[in-house]
Amino acid sequence: MAHMIKRRKSFFQKMRENEKVQSISTVVLPVLLGIVILALWQGQQLHALFHTDTFTLPIPTTIGEIFIDNLDKIGKNTVSTVVVALIGLILGSLLGYGIAVLAAVFPKFGKGGLSIIGAFASIPVVALAPVLNNWTKDVSKDASVRSMVAKILVVMLIAAADMGLNAYRGLTELEQYSEDLMATYAAKKRVTFLKLRLPNSLPYVFTALKVAVPASIMTTIVSEYFAEYITGIGRQIRENIVLAQYSTAWAYILTACLIGIASYVILMIVQSIALRNYH
Amino acid sequence: MSETTEREKEITIEDLGVTFRDNAGNDVQALTGVNLDIYKGEFVSLLGPSGCGKTTLLRSVADLQEPTEGSIRISGMTPKEVRLEQKFGFVFQQPVLFNWRTVKKNVELPLEIMYYDKEERSKRADEMLEMVGLKEFANHFPRQLSGGMQQRVNIARAFGIRPEILLMDEPFSALDEFTKEKLHEDLLRIWRQTNKTVLFVTHNIQEAVFLSDRVCVLSPHPGRLSAVVDIDLPRPRRLDMKDTSHFNELVTKVRNSFEGGSL
Repeated sequence: MAHMIKRRKSFFQKMRENEKVQSISTVVLPVLLGIVILALWQGQQLHALFHTDTFTLPIPTTIGEIFIDNLDKIGKNTVSTVVVALIGLILGSLLGYGIAVLAAVFPKFGKGGLSIIGAFASIPVVALAPVLNNWTKDVSKDASVRSMVAKILVVMLIAAADMGLNAYRGLTELEQYSEDLMATYAAKKRVTFLKLRLPNSLPYVFTALKVAVPASIMTTIVSEYFAEYITGIGRQIRENIVLAQYSTAWAYILTACLIGIASYVILMIVQSIALRNYH
Repeated sequence: MSETTEREKEITIEDLGVTFRDNAGNDVQALTGVNLDIYKGEFVSLLGPSGCGKTTLLRSVADLQEPTEGSIRISGMTPKEVRLEQKFGFVFQQPVLFNWRTVKKNVELPLEIMYYDKEERSKRADEMLEMVGLKEFANHFPRQLSGGMQQRVNIARAFGIRPEILLMDEPFSALDEFTKEKLHEDLLRIWRQTNKTVLFVTHNIQEAVFLSDRVCVLSPHPGRLSAVVDIDLPRPRRLDMKDTSHFNELVTKVRNSFEGGSL
């Protein structure tokens, strides 16, 4: 009997320590959990659990049908959201990296800049968005344009702060003696930047992006709530909830999830290519 | 001794002193009154316990540290002039390899900075990697190599620029005895082939005696040069020389020249 127990134990031990089993289980287990939740949702056991009904929490098949029926409209709103998030992310990241470079090259001025941008980023988006809406009133006569500018500015600030703080670390946290090494070669500041600081910062750029990519999408969605011009996934969620069209609202929530997952997958692919030499 | 005095002086250190200011604002004398001549092609060790200023002395020669007193002249030039002419090869305690570059690209790094063309860089890197026995690891990344192999890449990189003077700061102190002995032989072979002046910092007496023509013994509080011991073991040095009584006599002689208590 004792022998049996011992054998069984070692079998589970083996399973846990097997890398192949592990890598499969990290995919299979979450997917299984998702399927179970979807099944409970579809079977309305979830509704019973949360004391709700299929009107406020429509079942997955209904959401799916509405999603397919409204593909055109959802597509247009997706483009609007993604364009704002992407432009904001790119401009913000460039701005943040630029400030990090200034901070690394001229610590006296640059560090102040980093603090200011960090302070800006700690303001909640719900507070920042209406303020920037107000500030950009005179940017254009076209409401869609000035709304877009306001939303991009909010995303930019969030992305810039994240990139700035991370990139600064990447540009300055160098391996011990590596600056001395460059000094013994009489390398100029520009050369040290190009051959040491810049490549050293690359993994930190991706650390920043892993936060900034989802954050830029979330920020866009929240900013849309407050925007003057009605467009985007976030705004559609709000509009449909106000109109009590919960199924449609859920179709947009599904869309937001898909955008988030897709952008993260793209980021991971880009990272695996860009950092292939970083072991 | 008469043999060495006839040779050409390469590094002249006169009354050198270095004072640091610590965090509390007190002056700490790291090094004081160092006088030393080093000859062309000589292998000289700077030996001492931690805090004796041996690394400070080496960094002063390399112009990584500004002396507060005295002077250093290298073939009549200041350390800064020599550094700007890219005549130093410096081997740090750690390999300091850039992990985004392959082994070969790491060896090519200083050659890139010195504007050698692509062909010459590749040729020299191959040559150096062959010399340290890492030819087949050229396209590996540093993290894929053991500590000893990384340190060999470090040495290949330093020799690749064909420096006039090679400065080594405890390059083998983090390695195990087996790897260390292998690298000692490698280093002496490369040194013999290239005939560069080597200034080698270590806290290991056996290592200093085995490698050097002369061992400069430094003592701490304040850091100062307390003795210079000639090592008259024949060249080329072989590992079995460590078992001879003469080797052990030299080790004892070096040990006894430390000042400030037993070590």
